[in-house]
Amino acid sequence: MTNFVNMDMFSNYQKYIDNEQELRENIRLVVREIEHLAKDAQIKLQIIHSDLSQISGACGSARKLIEACAEKYVKLATLVPPGQYYRYSDHWTYITQRLIFLIALVIYLEAGFLVTRETVAEMLGLKTKPGEGFHLDVEDYLLGILQLASELSRFATNSVTMGDYERPLNISHFIGDLNTGFRLLNLKNDGLRKRFDALKYDVKKIEEVVYDVSIRGLSNKDKDGEQSAAPVE
Amino acid sequence: MSKHAGGNHRGNAHKKRQPQVAVDEDNPIVQAFRNYSIELTTKHDRHERIVKLSRDITIESKRIIFTLHSIDSRKQNKEKILEEAQKRLQKLIEVNFRAIALELRDQDVYQFRNAYSAGLQEFIEAYTYMEYLSRDDNDESPKSVSDWQALQSVMQYVEDPSKVKDEGASVEEMDVDEEKGGEERQAKKFQFFIDPTEYVLGLSDLTGELMRRCINSLGSGDTDTCMETCSTLQMFYTGYISLNLQRARELWRKITTMRQSVLKAENVCYNVKVRGGEAAIWGSNFDQKLAEDVDEGFY
Repeated sequence: MTNFVNMDMFSNYQKYIDNEQELRENIRLVVREIEHLAKDAQIKLQIIHSDLSQISGACGSARKLIEACAEKYVKLATLVPPGQYYRYSDHWTYITQRLIFLIALVIYLEAGFLVTRETVAEMLGLKTKPGEGFHLDVEDYLLGILQLASELSRFATNSVTMGDYERPLNISHFIGDLNTGFRLLNLKNDGLRKRFDALKYDVKKIEEVVYDVSIRGLSNKDKDGEQSAAPVE
Repeated sequence: MSKHAGGNHRGNAHKKRQPQVAVDEDNPIVQAFRNYSIELTTKHDRHERIVKLSRDITIESKRIIFTLHSIDSRKQNKEKILEEAQKRLQKLIEVNFRAIALELRDQDVYQFRNAYSAGLQEFIEAYTYMEYLSRDDNDESPKSVSDWQALQSVMQYVEDPSKVKDEGASVEEMDVDEEKGGEERQAKKFQFFIDPTEYVLGLSDLTGELMRRCINSLGSGDTDTCMETCSTLQMFYTGYISLNLQRARELWRKITTMRQSVLKAENVCYNVKVRGGEAAIWGSNFDQKLAEDVDEGFY
């Protein structure tokens, strides 16, 4: 009499899960390489907080490292079977968000605007639409951008320390736009929402810097006669 | 200028308050975020719809399991109940899972796994329990439990072009209607993807039902069933602990629960043996279904 319990099923599942484990191992190896490159890029960019004259140099080296990451993503894309992006995505979401942040920071420092998702995807060699293969998830993009806000609030403080009083005003404007953008999103009660809720602290921090600069008349723009607009609390 | 904007944001630090300044639609950031917003909302909505469908599957599956537990050797109601359960399970496959499959067409099924996982696992539990109970009817060719490939073959669908009418009607209509698109229609097949891991998790819940059946059978004096369910349980447990897994916290939790079920069932068999069926005799005189009130099957 055949048993109700099908022991073959268990050995089949073991094979299935062994294959999955092997693939995960391979993915992890590539992700680790990306992590190293991203870390280097992040270290290179730390200089912006202590030496404003080295910004463009730092951006240049960061760009090279990001390009190297793009090659790794090509490798990653070949590992992941089509239609199974989200089965394995937990391995790379963190580092992808970090890279999105770094790219956004480089672009902001170089050009002063917010990098679009399309440009980020292009720089990392990824697609934008899930149907096209290994892609850049929109939530990852948004989470990466929120990291940018935190970094810029730090940068605003340090710019003042280094004697650049104009920069915080630009940053404030930029973060203000970003804040407006995020308010357009219909967020659910998830990780993105939680991270977005922290954006207001970045906004607050930058505004405090702007306030300090304007009330002491350190900013040139301010000297042009906008004193009356200083926030009163 | 920027000062003014800054002051405004400070005033709006609380989320609830609406921005007083109208959103500048020419701003590139605003334009980009409008697109991201649409994309996020589409995804959330799809997720919500799947969760809803999955919840219906969970509830119906639990009810089916509850009904299956009312099979009682003293009442001779087995055939009738099994038939009803099969019908209801079939309906779940044809309606609810089909609807989820439609939502997941051309999507990455793993992206929405959390949304349907609970319903799928509960369904697998009900389906395999039905299979288990159907089994000893025809002893000549007893079937083993369906594996995921077998379940997968059940969840195949063909697109229904008319959408309102059922499959049968549209086949008839096809003859009258037109030749064009007939082949196209045949090509449009889809399925509800059954992830082996979800299957293994769902099947592990079956052991809880077997334990319950084992205990209930003691209550109704059916000691053969006690022994039979217990040995099936032991085999499941052996199968599950034979798996060598990493990163499978959910499964390990279920296996721990399974061990408790096995121990309970083994204890029942011990009692049957050592007391020589006293409990069973007592149970058969006591005309009430034991442990029904503790059943999880009701919502």
